[in-house]
Amino acid sequence: MWWRSASFILDQRNQDDAASSTKPETLSVSPPQTQSSYMAAAEPFNQNPNPNPKISAYYQTRAAHTGVVTKDWLAQAQAAVGRHPDDVPSPGYEVETSDSGKSFSVIHEFNNWRKQPDLAEAVAAIRALAAVIRASEATTMMELEIELKKASDSLKSWDTTSISLTAGCDLFMRYVTRTSALEYEDFNSAKSRLIERAEKFGEISCKARRIIAMLSQDFIFDGCTILVHGFSRVVLEVLKTAAQNKKLFRVFCTEGRPDRTGLRLSNELAKLDVPVKLLIDSAAAYSMDEVDMVFVGADGVVESGGIINMMGTYQIALVAHSMNKPVYVAAESYKFARLYPLDQKDMAPALRPIDFGVPIPSKVEVETSARDYTPPQYLTLLFTDLGVLTPSVVSDELIQLYL
Amino acid sequence: MPDVQVLVNDFLNNLKKRKIEGSQATARQTAELLRSVISQQRVSYTNQAGALMDAVRAVGELLIAANPVELAVGNIVRRVLHIIREEDLSLTTAAIAGLGVSAISDDDDDAEHNDHPVLSAASLAAAARSTLRPPSLQTLLEDVPDSAAVPHTSSSGGDSDGKSRSADKSSRTRKLKHDVIEAVNELIQDITTCHEQIAEQAVEHIHQNEVILTLGSSRTVLEFLCAAKEKKRSFRVFVAEGAPRYQGHLLAKELVTRGLQTTLITDSAVFAMISRVNMVIVGAHAVMANGGVIAPVGLNMVALAAQRHAVPFVVLAGTHKLCPLYPHNPEVLLNELRSPSELLDFGEFSDCMDFGNGTSSPLLHVVNPTFDYVPPKLVNLFITDTGGHNPSYMYRLIADYYSADDLVVQRRPTGS
Repeated sequence: MWWRSASFILDQRNQDDAASSTKPETLSVSPPQTQSSYMAAAEPFNQNPNPNPKISAYYQTRAAHTGVVTKDWLAQAQAAVGRHPDDVPSPGYEVETSDSGKSFSVIHEFNNWRKQPDLAEAVAAIRALAAVIRASEATTMMELEIELKKASDSLKSWDTTSISLTAGCDLFMRYVTRTSALEYEDFNSAKSRLIERAEKFGEISCKARRIIAMLSQDFIFDGCTILVHGFSRVVLEVLKTAAQNKKLFRVFCTEGRPDRTGLRLSNELAKLDVPVKLLIDSAAAYSMDEVDMVFVGADGVVESGGIINMMGTYQIALVAHSMNKPVYVAAESYKFARLYPLDQKDMAPALRPIDFGVPIPSKVEVETSARDYTPPQYLTLLFTDLGVLTPSVVSDELIQLYL
Repeated sequence: MPDVQVLVNDFLNNLKKRKIEGSQATARQTAELLRSVISQQRVSYTNQAGALMDAVRAVGELLIAANPVELAVGNIVRRVLHIIREEDLSLTTAAIAGLGVSAISDDDDDAEHNDHPVLSAASLAAAARSTLRPPSLQTLLEDVPDSAAVPHTSSSGGDSDGKSRSADKSSRTRKLKHDVIEAVNELIQDITTCHEQIAEQAVEHIHQNEVILTLGSSRTVLEFLCAAKEKKRSFRVFVAEGAPRYQGHLLAKELVTRGLQTTLITDSAVFAMISRVNMVIVGAHAVMANGGVIAPVGLNMVALAAQRHAVPFVVLAGTHKLCPLYPHNPEVLLNELRSPSELLDFGEFSDCMDFGNGTSSPLLHVVNPTFDYVPPKLVNLFITDTGGHNPSYMYRLIADYYSADDLVVQRRPTGS
């Protein structure tokens, strides 16, 4: 936050100074250069830096999962924004060699798991940590915990923008600490139990989605109109279950530029025979009076009870709140994170390229942040696998877990 | 058992005909009825808790269906189910703790015969306790032991030790019912004394020379105001009459006999008078899980007026009014329409409302809803017998008093 100041002209001057003094691996064109210089300045101790700091790895993965935005598209988008020609995303996100073999395998494992489109981030992280336990040669719980801590730290620093990754790692570390406190007779049975629970976590995640879908069925009534923003697998599960229960409802999808999440979601819903209407993002307020409720997923749920989700969620929540429409969030409980953003810029920046279709002059800046923070007063209820919660319950849960 | 059936049928009749007025009376009678059901229920040695819960659920389903708008019935049924679970759990953990100690001493040569992992009794009890608490982040990664697993260990211990254990088990049977009935008695006691407990907190909230506004008549509010009067606070009360039943008139009369300065106004005058009011204190019919209130009709308007003029809106509710369902739940009937004769005199308006004057349907409809829904953001404070709480805190009380499995009260299909 230290780079904010009242005058953006002063900012610009500072940026140019900073840019000129950083290493030449930053980009040649000035607007992207200033932002990536921030990234480089913010993470000097990152031993396994994300190959493309300009684009959040998390959003790269999501972009790769959705069929509409492919890797070639990404490459084209970057070329359009006018990036340094050498800065092409490497095929896959295989990290380059690193010093310790252990952390290499953690991130490698993680990326392998992450590539599966149906698997949540936190599940991939926990599976990767389970692989660390399996490969570990520790003989006491303390040693194992220290190894796990190192692995989890390297995972977290590899991608600082992904909240569910951090939350999943923290949750698993807490579980390990608490399990070691139970009276297990020998180390090997404790170790095998940890591995077994970590692998089961994938099932827990799927079960979580089903529980959330079941809990939200009561809130979808016949003849209702649901506005959906962003492509969340949990929200899709909710709508699928409602369609299977023969409920009559229609869905408004926002287009979700630049990821085009709305297009993908409308494809899926059309397969289920649910009437879908696509709106451009700016048409949210225009159509809000026809809408009965807003459903969004979450990349992360923060301590205040607010959510961090795809860019545009805050806007839609504001409009819905001003028109007295309920905003429902569907999020699994492992996305609860120990963050407390005070404003929109108070998080690690997650940037992604935006393709405007036409080349833009180099002097023009582009706001490339991929996500925003919605404060809890605009959210009505959170559907989680722990039950239907009001936003104030989130901090209670986190306190119970961490303190 | 036949007399229990008679009792149940009588109560069902009363509920269907709306003969029982008020959620406190309904709650108390429901608890007493369920207590009779439990004491009459024969339970076998195994799975006594399950048998008790089935019996309660069967009766509860009928009761809830008889009067769906009276949420206190469902609340008490769920409380009793939660009590049964809790008592069963505490008995089982006590038994296991006793067993665990002896098992370790007897079976250390045949530790290999145990096929489940060797866990201490404490951790097993902790795991069992966690199944009763609502799911939380702490227990997310843990294996959820079946409720069947816990009695299994106790029964296997019983088989191995013969006589002493079977004597324990029969005493356990009687003990469970005994404990449950004791707990239900406590519940009935709580319901009956909820007014006194709430009224004890009056002194903290009502200060000297204040002006209080209320609508209609609620016994809790009456006791609350009188308790503050007892403690020598001098204050004034504005009573809105609460059309069409005009129960505000009765409340005003009651307050005057107790020596309080009272002003009677119409419901429509609330917006005009609210700027002169320091606090609004009202009772509730039910409190939902999100903190919303089902209150007598007209209170939504009072709440909006209070918010507009920044006047604190305080709701008094006994814990038997706390409902674990959300207002969007299809099971929850938010309103009930009463007879239009409370509004209009049939004699004068018979020509408008009559079907028999040639037109197919009458042009005049009279709607007389009983309740209003007040959203949680309009409520500033809930005062229950456990103290004062924020609307966003209600979920905690619900987690304490109810189990998540009991939200839908239905007989489990027999066949296991």
